[in-house]
Amino acid sequence: MHALSKFFQPSSVAIIGATPKEGKVGRAILENFIKRFNGRIYPVNPGYDEVLGLKCYRSIKEIPETPDLGVIAIPALQVPQTLRELGEKGTKAVIIISGGFRETGTKEGEALEEELIKISREYGIRVIGPNCIGVYDNWSGVDTFFTQKMKKPPRGYVAFISQSGAFATALMDWMAYHGIGVSRAISYGNKIDVDDVDLLEYLGEDDKTRVVLMYIEGIKESRGRLFIETARRVSLKKPVVVYKAGKTSRGGRAAASHTAAMAGDYSVYRAAFKQAGLIEVDSFDEMMDFVRIFLDQPLMRGNRVYIVTDAGGVGVMLTDALTSVGFEVPVTPPELREKLRSILPPHCIVDNPIDLTGDTDDERYIRVLEVLSQREDVDAIVVVALPQVPGIKGIFVDYIAKTKEETGKPVVALTIGSEASMETAKKLQEKGVTVFESPERLAKSLKALRTYSLYISKNKPGVYSN
Amino acid sequence: MTPREVIKKALEEGRVKLLEHEAFDIAKYYGIPTPNAILVKSPDEAYKYADEVGYPMAAKIVSPDITHKSDVGGVKLFIKNREEAYKAVEEILRNASQNAPGARIAGVIVYKMAPPGLETIIGGIRDHVFGPTVMFGLGGIFVEVMRDVSFRVHPVTFEDALEMIDEIKSSRILNGYRGQPPVDKHALADIIVKTSKLLAENEEIESIDLNPVIAYPQGAVAVDVRIIVKQQG
Repeated sequence: MHALSKFFQPSSVAIIGATPKEGKVGRAILENFIKRFNGRIYPVNPGYDEVLGLKCYRSIKEIPETPDLGVIAIPALQVPQTLRELGEKGTKAVIIISGGFRETGTKEGEALEEELIKISREYGIRVIGPNCIGVYDNWSGVDTFFTQKMKKPPRGYVAFISQSGAFATALMDWMAYHGIGVSRAISYGNKIDVDDVDLLEYLGEDDKTRVVLMYIEGIKESRGRLFIETARRVSLKKPVVVYKAGKTSRGGRAAASHTAAMAGDYSVYRAAFKQAGLIEVDSFDEMMDFVRIFLDQPLMRGNRVYIVTDAGGVGVMLTDALTSVGFEVPVTPPELREKLRSILPPHCIVDNPIDLTGDTDDERYIRVLEVLSQREDVDAIVVVALPQVPGIKGIFVDYIAKTKEETGKPVVALTIGSEASMETAKKLQEKGVTVFESPERLAKSLKALRTYSLYISKNKPGVYSN
Repeated sequence: MTPREVIKKALEEGRVKLLEHEAFDIAKYYGIPTPNAILVKSPDEAYKYADEVGYPMAAKIVSPDITHKSDVGGVKLFIKNREEAYKAVEEILRNASQNAPGARIAGVIVYKMAPPGLETIIGGIRDHVFGPTVMFGLGGIFVEVMRDVSFRVHPVTFEDALEMIDEIKSSRILNGYRGQPPVDKHALADIIVKTSKLLAENEEIESIDLNPVIAYPQGAVAVDVRIIVKQQG
């Protein structure tokens, strides 16, 4: 059993600070657990005998078993004593939601945090926090995200590690709105113990997680080497997408040497990410684009992209975007031209982009996809499906998805427009075809997929040929 | 002296910046190509070793107390023979005692000047999160203005180093331009790998600048080596 599994799959939880008072963090957390957690729940609060229909314990000592997980949501001053009591009880995993520690910048806060570190070491307790929103586990129902206005994403396979609690909340909300499934999300706050390295290691082993997304402000000093080693191992199993916040240099070592003046903190992070096989993103857009493409698309074995479009202009935009990130958009070879000529009306353009033109129907897409899916010299297909043309009824959606399944190659789509476009996009996405609205974002995302595929083929020979 | 001994001596003397010949010694110990250099204490010594060093020769004052060597008349370039070497060192020592009275003088370093080539920079720092980290860039405005450099964290393989070299935006210059032949990327990669090892094996070294490393169609040489050390614990 992994050292951190008690945070994610506990059979019992003690919630210290559980309360019936509306608007309190302790109430929100208890409600979350009541709603979805299947294990035993022990609310702890000296002021109540019962909270929200559950028996409430006056102290940790009174709990009739050793809870696998402790959640602390009480004022900072009382946290050290509570942690000690959990230690006495034998609990080995504790999430400290409470703030009021090092982040306050005060001597008192710092001293309190030092005490927590001491106690956790003394009892061998693993701690997430303090000053965090903790764990959101969509499979076990562990949920300390007390931000109740947040819409909860469906069960799924994206895990998220965040140094920022507020961003974690916003992102979950966004993913819920866009129907992207989440396995587990963790916000670790001041990280006095459990950090990025531990969590990445855990999620690497987690079979409910297929893509890991990380928001990092800074790695703990002296953990850099281990971070790279862990990330390298995990990257071979699943893609890890990382966003580094705080890119500007602190400049603290500017004068020491020429190299130091150039380095800044971010350049070194950037190099480390690259060496670890991580996929770095520069913006929120990229973050979610890359996560979506990694979630749904297979590895990309080569560099040749074919475009099938019902709009010439968008085909050209795509060609530019794909070429400028390093893809090949090959000129259709003669035998393929002939083949396409034989199945398309004479006014269609059989160069790549293959332009079915504005009078196309679903049939043309289906015929062309059938031809392309049988070819060895096609590494990915981009389908432009602008729904404004009159002849499209929508059955081509199934064929696009089928092409992806049957070829085992990336098949992505582009639609631009209003409701009809959204409708097409939704249908495609439900069938695992990643849809983009912007040619440039599509190209960059496909490039990320290709880069990761290259990393895998280089470091894990035999995964796929070519 | 071994790198350990060189660093220990500097720290004992309270110096954090190694002297030129000390830095050269450490680089050489790790197999980084440097010019043939000798620290001489007198004009007579300069005369004696000049032929061995080779021409054209450069002579520079070595002192922990003098930062801007040319300002005190502590540099002579393009020395052509042993007579000139004698005169140059005599002059440098006299200038130093006149213009920087009281400065501690370790001697004058004389070395064969490297022929012109493509100037690059290879450096290393000890990052507080990731540990030893190396840098590569092209000399002059490419680093100063464009900040066009690449980094890798130790351990750095030969392949990593080649990738670093190709990663900078102006890497095409290394492939030759305006009739210039391409430079020896393997020689540069080799220096990068050795610099990374040097940093990893000597914890007291905070940073190292090989600036410039002059690259040729065959080979590359670190013409100037600066090493900053720090007391441990």
